[in-house]
Amino acid sequence: MVFDGSIMADIHPLQVIELGKRFPGKRGLGTVPAVSGVTFRVQQGEIVGFIGHNGAGKTTSIKCILGLLKPSAGSIALWNKKPQDRSVRKRIGYIPENPDYDDTFSPLEYLTMFASMRNLAGNRKSWMSLLERVGLRGWETTCIRQYSKGMKQRMSLALALQSAPDLLVMDEPTGGLDPIARKEFRDIIIEENNRGASVFLSSHILSEVETICHRAVILAGGKLVSEGSMECLLGGKSMYRVVTVSSEERTELTVPEAELQSTIDSLRQKGLPVLKVELALKSLEDVFLSATGGERK
Amino acid sequence: MKAVFTFALMTLRMLFRRRTLWGILLVILLALAGIASVPSFDVSNQGRFVLDFGLFGIELGALLLALGLAASLYPRDRETRTLMPLIAVPLSRGQYLMGRFLGAAIVQAAALIVTCLGLMLILILHGLHIPADLLPATLLILVEGWFLLSTVFFFSFFTSPPLNWPLTTMLFIVSQMSVAEFAGLVPSAPGLMRSLRILLPHADVFHIKDPIAHGFQIEPVYFLIAVFYGVCYSAFMLSLALAVFRSRDLK
Repeated sequence: MVFDGSIMADIHPLQVIELGKRFPGKRGLGTVPAVSGVTFRVQQGEIVGFIGHNGAGKTTSIKCILGLLKPSAGSIALWNKKPQDRSVRKRIGYIPENPDYDDTFSPLEYLTMFASMRNLAGNRKSWMSLLERVGLRGWETTCIRQYSKGMKQRMSLALALQSAPDLLVMDEPTGGLDPIARKEFRDIIIEENNRGASVFLSSHILSEVETICHRAVILAGGKLVSEGSMECLLGGKSMYRVVTVSSEERTELTVPEAELQSTIDSLRQKGLPVLKVELALKSLEDVFLSATGGERK
Repeated sequence: MKAVFTFALMTLRMLFRRRTLWGILLVILLALAGIASVPSFDVSNQGRFVLDFGLFGIELGALLLALGLAASLYPRDRETRTLMPLIAVPLSRGQYLMGRFLGAAIVQAAALIVTCLGLMLILILHGLHIPADLLPATLLILVEGWFLLSTVFFFSFFTSPPLNWPLTTMLFIVSQMSVAEFAGLVPSAPGLMRSLRILLPHADVFHIKDPIAHGFQIEPVYFLIAVFYGVCYSAFMLSLALAVFRSRDLK
């Protein structure tokens, strides 16, 4: 809701409510749901991971958020305004999946033209330094025709960062990058988040999401199957690992918190020593596979 | 508006850097040179012959330029995904369309002016008189070029370039026909055909090559009305194009 004056409450950079998108079916017969009933939000200063298998509806959702696709159902709000609103579009930085640009231009030309289109203050020096930040030093005036996929992704990052956005929407920004480039991208995402930007990151690289995201939204078959803070998702059900020795063999038992005491009592009654009790942390991959059933839907 | 002009400038640079434009321009200049090199059957009519065919060449050039410049702009942007970063953040769909249109219109104007200068040079080389109405005639062809350009943009939002070419050419041909000629195409429904023809564009209003080739003066009022009609019809076609573009999902 929007309140009078400059004080606003409950305003999230991104709020998606019951989002649905249907595409025409084969030979134009009927419609096929790509996304249905998806609800989540990105709070100020958060990095939210958006994960799901291929065809889960991630890119479709992102395109709806950016106004490239019209939702069939539900609503999307960027700072409580419609995605088409110019004032909110100025606050967004977007990295598309497999970005491509007119190859007759250089990244410096692109940055200069985008700055003019977005009415941004800046000069050649500032754009050169931005290109250096994303790792394109020495390539500033080279035609994009000569760029590799990774370099195009770096240029895409430069264009997204150009306006110091309040919300970065990234659709698999590190797909196809080498590990060093991925680390550099991650560092920049964290730097931007530290600056105050919220980040909505769609990725297949679960370790990356696990490392940098505060929360994650998991999609499967176009539906939201799990959502929560990383702590909640990874240790949500508080599983414990109890290490004991039986018949001279080391045995590990993983039990939920509710059964921990009874398990320890049971082991002691049997005369088995309890060597260690520790929190059993799950990986995001475990959570993802468990939430999606480990299968494509 | 700044965004539109910047994007128009970007379009302009892109078109100049691609070879398509220079190819089309070369074809038009070669065609003009060809017309000039053909001897007239009647020496006394040589000036009229060169002028008539020269202006026809410029008009055909306007059609070729509109198709060559604009038919593949949007489909290419979409196919290469260069459209996504543009539409997602800095530009609205209307700004994208206007920027692309303005950029292409400026290139088309530059090319038509070069062709007109080429025609003047040919007339001078033949020791022929350059009529005072040659410039207004070229300007009207330029307005016709904007109309053709807006038509090409309109078709480009829902057809492929190979389909855009025949559709625009068909509309170009129809736009040259009189109401009676068009009604004669389907003799069984003359009323319907007449009504349809009235709604369809009338590009014949831009054609003053015959009067100036025969030495007649063009009234300034006629010229202004023809420009006004062309601008209005172009704006109408662009509005239709924007309506189609806005309804499209960008997958």
